[in-house]
Amino acid sequence: MARIGVFICHCGTNIAGTVDIPTVVEAAQNMPMVVYAVDSKYNCSEPGQAAIRDAILENRLNRVVVAACSPWMHEKTFRKAVASAGLNPYLAEMANIREHNSWVHNDKQAATDKAIEIIKMAVAKVSRHEELFPKALPITKRALVVGGGIAGIQTALDIANAGHPVVLAEREPSIGGRMSQLDKTFPTLDCSSCILTPKMVDVMQHPNIKLMTYTELEQVEGFVGNFKVTLRQKARKVDHAKCTACGLCWQKCPEKVDSEFDLNLGKRTAIYIPFPQAVPPRPVIDTANCRYQKYLDFTAEGREGKAPPKCGICEKICPVGAIDWEETDELITEEFGAIVAATGYKPFEPGGYTELGKGKFADVITGLELERMMSPAGPFNGEVKRPSNGEHPKEVVFITCVGSRDKQRGRTYCSKVCCMYIAKHAIMLKSHDPEVNCYVFNMDVRTVSKDYEEFYEQAQLSGATYIRGKVSKIRQEGDQLIVRGEDTLLGEIIEVPADMVVLAVGMEHSEGAAELAQKLHISYDVNGFFVEAHPKLRPVETRSDGIFLAGACLGPRDIPETVSQGSGAAAKVCGLLSQDFLTTDPLVSVIDKVKCAGCLLCQDICPFSAIDSETLRDGRTVSVVNESICKGCGLCVAACRFGAANLHGFTQEQLLAEVLALWE
Amino acid sequence: MGVEFEPRIVGFLCNWCSYAGADMAGTSRISYPPNLRVIRVPCSGRVDPILIVKSFQMGADGVLVAGCHPGDCHYAEGNYYARRRFAMLRPFLEYLGIEGDRFRVEWVSASEGRKFSEVVSSFTNQLTELGPRATGAAV
Amino acid sequence: MSQIENVHTKARELLESQAVDCVIGFGKGTTGGSRPLFVYGPEGVEDLIFDETCAHNLAKYLLNRKGKTTAVVLKACDARAVNLLLSEHQIERDKVYMIGVVCPGIKENGEPRDTCLRCGQRTPVSYDYLAGEPEEATVDAELQYKGVAEMEAMSMAERKAFWEAQFDRCIRCYACRQVCPGCYCDECFVERLDPLWVGIRIAPSENEMWNAMRAFHLTGRCIGCDQCERVCPVGIPLSLLNRKLEKEVYETFGYEAGMDPEAAPPFATYKKEESLGFGE
Repeated sequence: MARIGVFICHCGTNIAGTVDIPTVVEAAQNMPMVVYAVDSKYNCSEPGQAAIRDAILENRLNRVVVAACSPWMHEKTFRKAVASAGLNPYLAEMANIREHNSWVHNDKQAATDKAIEIIKMAVAKVSRHEELFPKALPITKRALVVGGGIAGIQTALDIANAGHPVVLAEREPSIGGRMSQLDKTFPTLDCSSCILTPKMVDVMQHPNIKLMTYTELEQVEGFVGNFKVTLRQKARKVDHAKCTACGLCWQKCPEKVDSEFDLNLGKRTAIYIPFPQAVPPRPVIDTANCRYQKYLDFTAEGREGKAPPKCGICEKICPVGAIDWEETDELITEEFGAIVAATGYKPFEPGGYTELGKGKFADVITGLELERMMSPAGPFNGEVKRPSNGEHPKEVVFITCVGSRDKQRGRTYCSKVCCMYIAKHAIMLKSHDPEVNCYVFNMDVRTVSKDYEEFYEQAQLSGATYIRGKVSKIRQEGDQLIVRGEDTLLGEIIEVPADMVVLAVGMEHSEGAAELAQKLHISYDVNGFFVEAHPKLRPVETRSDGIFLAGACLGPRDIPETVSQGSGAAAKVCGLLSQDFLTTDPLVSVIDKVKCAGCLLCQDICPFSAIDSETLRDGRTVSVVNESICKGCGLCVAACRFGAANLHGFTQEQLLAEVLALWE
Repeated sequence: MGVEFEPRIVGFLCNWCSYAGADMAGTSRISYPPNLRVIRVPCSGRVDPILIVKSFQMGADGVLVAGCHPGDCHYAEGNYYARRRFAMLRPFLEYLGIEGDRFRVEWVSASEGRKFSEVVSSFTNQLTELGPRATGAAV
Repeated sequence: MSQIENVHTKARELLESQAVDCVIGFGKGTTGGSRPLFVYGPEGVEDLIFDETCAHNLAKYLLNRKGKTTAVVLKACDARAVNLLLSEHQIERDKVYMIGVVCPGIKENGEPRDTCLRCGQRTPVSYDYLAGEPEEATVDAELQYKGVAEMEAMSMAERKAFWEAQFDRCIRCYACRQVCPGCYCDECFVERLDPLWVGIRIAPSENEMWNAMRAFHLTGRCIGCDQCERVCPVGIPLSLLNRKLEKEVYETFGYEAGMDPEAAPPFATYKKEESLGFGE
C-alpha cells in the first residue's frame, strides 16, 4: 500500500503569496493514500530537504510528492533527497504549483483550488510509481574516426594522445583531405602541407592509431559504448605489408590518367599515390584504368577480339613482390565505443552557372584549381598559367558566392571561407607577379574571425580592387574574357577584361553523405550536412549517443574551426571512453512479451531503431526494447494497440491515474 | 445560474518544448486563465489517443495536446507521428458528437511562454463560448 | 468448369500434394445458408460450397493456424484481410495459399448486404489461384461513403443523440471484436483491469468509450468487410464508424487497408511537409 507524503513549498512568497498554503495542506492530508502532508518555506533548502528525509523515515513513507516549482528546476534535487532516506529516487514526483500556477494566476481562490488539483494528480500518479534502477553497461574503449582530413586527423590524434586506441578510416588512398590540396592558408599564409604533413606522419606513427586508408564504412550495428562496425578495405592490389614505398612502380607505370588530387589539371599513373606527401606513402592500383587489370578482365570474361596489352610492369619491377592481383575487397568487423564522422565537404560544382562559362572557357577556373596551380608540388610547379595558352595572367577577376547565398540555385547558406581565400589568392598572385591586377566581384565581404578583417585589408592594400556587385555574363573577346557585371555602389554596369576568371565556389556536402548518415542513424539537413544534437550547446554530438561530428561535414567551416571541432569531438569521445560503465536512464520503454502480438509497428516508428525482434520458444515473434538505445519518447506506447509497450515514468497507468484524479 | 461556466481542460504537454514553454510563461509572469490541468509527457508522440477519448468520457470540456514545432521534436520525429494520429482522431470525435474545437493540438516551443498563455486563454474562451458539453452519454 | 468445381479441384490438389494441411472454406449450414468449413483431407473437398450466402470472413481463422500451412477461400474483402494480417506480420505468406473466388455479392435473408452493394470489388486484389473469371472492379464513390456523408451533414447535437441511442443498446457482447480479422489482441483494452480504460458497468458512456476505441484501433486497418455490423445482435451500425475513419484515411493519406501488404500504413510513416490542419 502506498504511503504518500506531500511536501508543499511556500517558495518564500512565490507560491504562498498566491496560494493559501494551509488550505492546500489540509486538502492534501485528506487525499487517498496520503499519510503525511506538510508545508515548508523552502523545500529545496538544506533544512527543507532534511525535513523530507526525516519525514520519510518517521512516517515510513514510500512515495513522495513535492509540490513546488517545475521539475525542470528541482526534480533531481528531490530525487536525491528521497534517495538519502533510502527510498528509490524514482518514487518521487513533483507537482508544479509555481510556474504553472502561482506565477500565472492572481486570483487566490482559483490558484489555491488549482494547486490542490495539481497535487491530487501528482498523488494519483506517484501511487503508480515503481522503483527504477539505472543499468550499467560495459564500454568498448576504442574509437572509430571516419574521414582522414584535418578534422579526422585532429580527432584521432587527440583521442590517441589521451591513451585510447583509435581506428582512422579514410576512403581515399591517403589521408590529408582537402587541406592537403591547398597551397597556403589564410590569414597567416603558412604553407598548408608544411603544417599538415607532420600531423599526417604523427597519425601514421602513433602507437594508438590504426590507419585504414582506401576503406569505407559498410555497416554499423549496436549502440553507444558497443558499436559493431563493418569496414570495407577496398582492394589495393598492393600488399602494403611488403611495399617499401620505393616508388619504382609509379615511376614506370605507362598508363597516365587525370589526377583527381590535381583536379584533372595534371596526370597520375594507374598505380599511384595521390600526392608526394601521401600517408601512407604506399600506392594502390586504380583497377579501372590499369592495363594489366583490363587484360585480366578480358581473359577472365573470355571475350572475343584483340586482347589489351599484357602490361604488368609494376609487378616485374617491384623489388619486393608486393603486387598482388588476387587481392579483393575485404570486410573487417571491429568493435568500438564511439564513432566520429569527420567526412568533410566537396567543392561546389559550378557547371549550373552557365553565365559564368565554367567548362566553356578554359580560363574560367575554380578557387581550388588555382590552389593546385599555385602549389609548388602541383601540376604547374607553382606557376599560375592560363589554361588556354600557358601564359601568365595579368588581369584576374574573382567572382564570389558561386554556389553560396543563392536561393535560386537552392544554396541558401554562406560557405564561410570563400571571402578569405579570395583575399589570400589576391595577395598571393600579387606577390608571385607584381604586374597582376585583381578584381573581386562580391556581394559582401565577410571577415568574422580573428585577424580576418586585417587580412582583407591587406588584400586591398596589395592592390586588389573590390567591386560590390554580381556578374551577369562572361564572354570571349580575342584571347581575353570580358566579365560583365554591376557595380552596385556606382550603380552602373561595368565590363572588366580578364586573362583569367576565378570562381569562388562554395562548399557542398561530401559525396555519399546521406548514405553514411543512414548507416550511422544520424540526421542530415536539406543541404546534406549532418545535424548536430543542439546547434549551440551540443555542436559536436548527434542525437544518436556515442556518435560525434567534426568539421565541414556539419556545414561550411574553415581550418581553425574544423580543428577546434576535432578536438571538441575528441574530448567528448574521451569523456565517454574514460568511463568503465555506461549508466542508462531508466525512464525507457518496455514491451510486455505476453501482450505483444508482433505487428512490429513500433519498430517502424522508433526514431532510434531501439526496438528489435525476438523469437520466443513458442515460435511467436515479439518486439523487445534495447534499453541502452531507447530515449524514452514513448512513441511505441501510443502506437501499441495491444497495451504491450509501456514507458517507465510515464506509464499508461500513471497518465490515466492523472486524468481520473481530476474527476474523483 | 449565477455561477459562470468554467471549462475543465486536460492538457498533455511535451516535456521538452511545451511544458518548458508553460514554465517560461510562469517565469515571465504572463497570466492566463486557471482552467488547464497539465499532464507532463515526454513527447506529443507519447499521447495515446485513448487518453484523449478517456478525458472526454470523464467529462473534460476540452483537451489540449502541445508539443515541439514540427522539425524541432526532441526525439526528431515524435510530433510527426502524433500529428497523423490526431488528424484522424479529431474528425472522428466530431463524428461522435464532440466538437472538433474541443480538441486542440498546438506547437509551443520552450521559448514561447507568450504563445502558451495565448493558447490557454483562447482555448478557455472558446470552450466557455461552446458551453458545457451536453451530458448524456457522459455519466 | 464452374467456380466451385475449380475450388474443389484446387483444394484436392493442395491437400493431396500436402502443400497445405487444411483448406478453410464454406460449407452448408445446418439450418440453411453457410458456415465455415475446415477440410483436412481430399475426401472432404466436395463439401465446399460457394454462393451468395457465404458471408463469413475466413481470414480470421488463419490467426488460429499460425505456423501451419493453410489454404483459404477468399472473397475480395477477405483477401484484403489476409493482406492486412500479412502486413502486420501475423501470418506468413509462404504458409498461406489464397484461393480467390469472384464474389457475386452476399445476400442476407434474400436481400443483398449493404456492404456488398457498396463494394465494387468482385475479384480479390490478391490470390494465388483464382477460381472464377475475373471481373472489373466498379467503384461508385457516392455509394462508398453512403451513410457517412449523411451523418456528417447532421448537426453536432443530432449526431451526438444518434450515437447515444446506438451505444445505449450495446450489450458489450464483443461479437464485433471476435469476428473482426483486425482484432487479435491477446488482451483487449476493454477487458483490461489495469489500466481500466473502460468501466465494467454497462453504461452509455462506457459503451461509447468501447465503441469509439474499437473503431479507432482500426484506423487505417479496417478492410471494410463489415462482419462487425453483420454479427451485432442489437443492430448498431458499426460500419458507419469504421467507414468514417476509412474515409478520413483515404482522403488524407490516400491509403486503403489491405490493398497492398507492402504499403506503409498511415500511422507507420509521416511526411514532414504535411500540416494536417495543425499549422505552425
